[in-house]
Formats: sequence, C-alpha cells, structure tokens
Amino acid sequence: MILDLSSSRDLLLALLPELVLTAWSLVLLLLIAWRHRTAADLRLAGCVTLAALASTAGAVWWLWWHAARAAPTPLAAMIAVDDFRFVTDWLFLGAAALTVLLSFNYLEREQLLIPEYHALIVFATLGMMLMGGGDDLIVVFLGLELLSVSVYVLAGINRKSAAGAEAAFKYFLLGAFASSFLLYGIALVYGATGTTGLRAIAAQVGAGAGGGTMLAIGLALLLIGFGFKVAAVPFHMWVPDVYDGSPTPVTAYMASGVKAAAFAALFRVLGEAFSAVAAWHEIVWWLAVATMVVGNLIALAQRAVKRMLAYSSVAHAGYLLVAVAAGPGPGSAAFLFYLVAYTLMTLGAFALLAAKGRQGERDVLIDDLAGLATRHPWLAFALAVCMLSLLGFPGTAGFIGKWYILAAATSAGQGGLAAALVLTSVISAGYYLPVIMAMYMKPEPSAEAHVGMRLGRLGYAVVTVCVAGLLFFGVRPNRLLDLARTGGVAGPPAPEAIPAAPAVSAAHAPTAR
Amino acid sequence: MLLGPSLAVSAVLFALGVAGVLLRRNAIVIFMCVELMLNAVNLTFVALAQSLGVAGQIFVFFVMAVAAAEAAVGLAIILAIYRHKQTVDLQNINLLKG
Repeated sequence: MILDLSSSRDLLLALLPELVLTAWSLVLLLLIAWRHRTAADLRLAGCVTLAALASTAGAVWWLWWHAARAAPTPLAAMIAVDDFRFVTDWLFLGAAALTVLLSFNYLEREQLLIPEYHALIVFATLGMMLMGGGDDLIVVFLGLELLSVSVYVLAGINRKSAAGAEAAFKYFLLGAFASSFLLYGIALVYGATGTTGLRAIAAQVGAGAGGGTMLAIGLALLLIGFGFKVAAVPFHMWVPDVYDGSPTPVTAYMASGVKAAAFAALFRVLGEAFSAVAAWHEIVWWLAVATMVVGNLIALAQRAVKRMLAYSSVAHAGYLLVAVAAGPGPGSAAFLFYLVAYTLMTLGAFALLAAKGRQGERDVLIDDLAGLATRHPWLAFALAVCMLSLLGFPGTAGFIGKWYILAAATSAGQGGLAAALVLTSVISAGYYLPVIMAMYMKPEPSAEAHVGMRLGRLGYAVVTVCVAGLLFFGVRPNRLLDLARTGGVAGPPAPEAIPAAPAVSAAHAPTAR
Repeated sequence: MLLGPSLAVSAVLFALGVAGVLLRRNAIVIFMCVELMLNAVNLTFVALAQSLGVAGQIFVFFVMAVAAAEAAVGLAIILAIYRHKQTVDLQNINLLKG
C-alpha cells in the first residue's frame, strides 16, 4: 500500500495508530472525570488503557500488514511510514501494557487511587510513538516533550512520598535543561540547512550545502540533549536518583519504554539525517565507551537492588550506543533486537523488585534477597533469568542481543568498541551474580524474611511474559531477528544496508541451535 | 537583515541560561534560567525565519506551547517539594544521593 502523504486521506491513514491512541486518551480522560474515587474506578481506567493500547497495536499491525509505504513527495513528510516505526511502536505499546498490568496491584497496595496514572501512561506512549516515527525534528521534539512532561508527573505521582517528590523535581529540572539543548540544536540545524525534515536535511548535508560550524554546533547540541535522555555518561547523574525515588512500576516504564523511545529517536535522527556527517561517529564512540565503563564500575559499588539496576541501565545505554555507533546499516537489526530484549529483562527485573518491596521498596538490599529460592522458587528463578539475560548469559535473549551488537560493531570496523563491550560485560558479572548467589546459596535469615512478597496474578503474568520471551528469543532468535532486519531500514536509501544483511546472518549461524 | 547580531544575542542569552542553571541553587531561579534558554531558542528561530521562510516562526508557537505546559507541571512539582521540605534550595534537597 503506497500512501501519498500530500493527500489528507492518506495522511490520516498513515497517522492511524496515533489518532486511535489520541481518541482513546480523550475517552479515558472523560471517564476519569466522572469516576476517580475507588479502587474499582482505578481498575476500570486500567482496563480502558489496556483496550486503548491493544486497539492501537491493531492499527499498527493493519498498516504493517498492508506494507504501508510513503510515496516519494516533493513535500517533506512529517511522519515516517516504515517498518522501523512499526516495530518500535509495538515495542512501546508492549512496554506500556506490561507496565499497566504491573501497576494494578502496586497502586492498590500503595493506596495510590489515582486513575490519572493510566491517562499519563497513554499520553507518554503517544509521545514515544511520535518519537519513533517522527520524520521531522519538530515532531521528534514534540513527541519528546509529550513523553517527558507526562513522565515528570508519573515520577512524583505518590504525593505522600518525599523521595518521589524529589525524584520528580530532579527529573524535571534536568529534563527541561536537556530539552532546551536539544531545541537549540534543532534551531541551529534548521539555520544551517533551512529545513527540519530528516530526509531534507540528509539531502542538504549530502549535497555539501549548509556545512560548517553552525551544523557542527547544532549536531553537538542535539547529541547533548539526546545524551541526557538516553542517560549516557557524562549526562547520567540524574538516573540513579530518579529511578530510586520513583514508584517501581514507573521506574520500570522509564528504564524500558522511555529509554527505548529516546534511543529510537536518536537512531533515526543520526542515521537518517546525519549519516553523511562523519563527526558524530567519533563522539558516539567516546560516549559509548565512557557509558559502558562508568556505568558498570559504579554499579559494582551498589548494595541496594534498585540503584544497582539504575546503574545497570546506564551500562546498557552504553551497549545500545555501540549499535548506534555501528551506523544505520549494520547496526539497526542488532539495535532493534537488543532494544526488545532489554525492555523485557528490565521490566521483568523491576516487576519482581516491586513485589519484594513493601510500603516503599527503596531499601531492598541485595542481601535482603537471601534464601528467596527456598521460599519462592519460581520468583527466584524468574529474577535469575532476568539477571543472566542482563549479564548476557548464553541461552537468554540478552546474549543473542549482545552477540549481534558485537557482530555489527566488528563488521562496521569498530573493533575497539566490541572489545570494550566484552570487557565491561565481564565486569557486570560482579554485580548481577551476587543477586543470584544471595537467592540460591545464602540461607534465609529468618522465617518471616519473605512473607510480604506478593506479586498478584497480573504481576505473575507480566513476569511470565518477560521470562518466557527472554528464554524463547534466547534459544530461537530467528523470528525476532527477521522482524528486526526488515525493520532496520531507518537509514537513507542506504546502499550500505545491503552488504550488512549477510554480515548479520553470518554471525547468526553459530548461535542457532 | 541583522541576522548575525540576533544570532549572537540569542547565543549569549542561551549561555546565560546555562550558566544560571549550573551556578544558582534556588529551584525557581533555575527554572527561570531554563525558560530563558527556551526563549533564546525562540529568538534564534525568529531571526532565521527572515531568510528561511515562515516555518521558523511557526516553530516558535510550538515551543511556546511546550514551555507553558512545562511551566505548569514544573511549578506544581516545585510546590510539591516545598510541601515536603519547606524549602526550594537545592542544598537541602538531598534525600537521594547520586
């Protein structure tokens, strides 16, 4: 199906998923205005949210099924119609749905009878979809702001918690600071090239026009803004505090969906608009190395599980930056695969952490998990799978993901980055394995140590989905990889995308069992 | 027409905003500095729109709407932290240690 984006009917079709989700969000707001007092109202809002996410996923699937593509128009399109957008949309919708399922039990347990929570999740997801699909810097910026403003509120949704207020406060100040850098970068790129459309920028840059200092400064400011959003070192200092203070399901959403959206936008902007500019490769190279080393080393020193996971998410931002540095050709399939795997393992780990904590789970230490395997063998197994996958242990999706990133980095001639990835992954064993050792090898400190651990049926469903996904894609990655490879057309008409495919499938051979 | 000077002024405004965010300790002042940065970007867009067409001026409206939404949420968050701490000074907001 070829969509001519200059006709309004086809434009509406191309925007169908976003329009469906917008309509649902308005319905949800209207519903909340009437019913916002009891736990039943909260559950109702949650169910409407799930219906909204499911029908939006259906709309995405419909476009995908019809192989929708945009017809080449002289007018710059605002929204991309490609498989990269569809794959990332599904990822965002899935992360949001798992977060909502996880929140049912959590919100009632913490006495947060706030149905607006679900409306904010829907708005944030809409922002993510605009970030993953925006083909224009202004659309990416508006999506980012829609996402950020919703998540600022979500971080501080627990008004009784001083830590939550502080997390929202820090997130807001640094987020707004980063957004203005991003915006100034957009303004300077607009000044240098005369356009904000990604493809138009690529054409201008490729033609050699509008080069020079203004474009370089604009690109640097864009990278600073995105660096804050994806939590790359040295722009990571807000991460541990914000992740620590926010309610755990919100932290899970931030670590999985929000980070994935920022990465999707970064990948599309760099790959599609600036692939002809050599300068950013080196900057991203340094960012990736610094992020992997610093994130992993600081994570080693953490005793609280939530802060450990926060620094681990910084380290994983480094691994994803390796895929970004490998470029849109070889990197995109590895990038999408790792993004899916990372979302599953992060959501699973935070879901289990939410179950362990009672009345504010901020202080769950690694030692508090001692003997969990004897009391709750299934939960301990699930957490062990998430930890092994985060570590990149063979047999889990995390391993396959890291493998493809390594393959992409080496085929792009980034051997140094691949070496750094392997070495820092070895360091990361120093903080993932103690969690497993505490659960399986240490005795339970007292008979009541794990009494309060309750996940709820829906929480179990979330954890089961995550663990099953991690194990399934760890053993049979082919299906997801095919999907990621067809989705990996984020680059410009990219001649380099063609030799990249055999490189990835060659790397694929030894891991298939 | 006056493109260079307007760009220079907006760059100076932006730098002032950055310096304010990094140096000041009061949350409200920091927030004002962020707004200053956004307005510097607006000035850049308007200055560029003289030669590049009306799109630059339209972006300014988007940025203003975003800044307004951010101000509403941001002031509410600052109010929330004031209720917990009785202060908006960054030195006293240290429950979570980075």
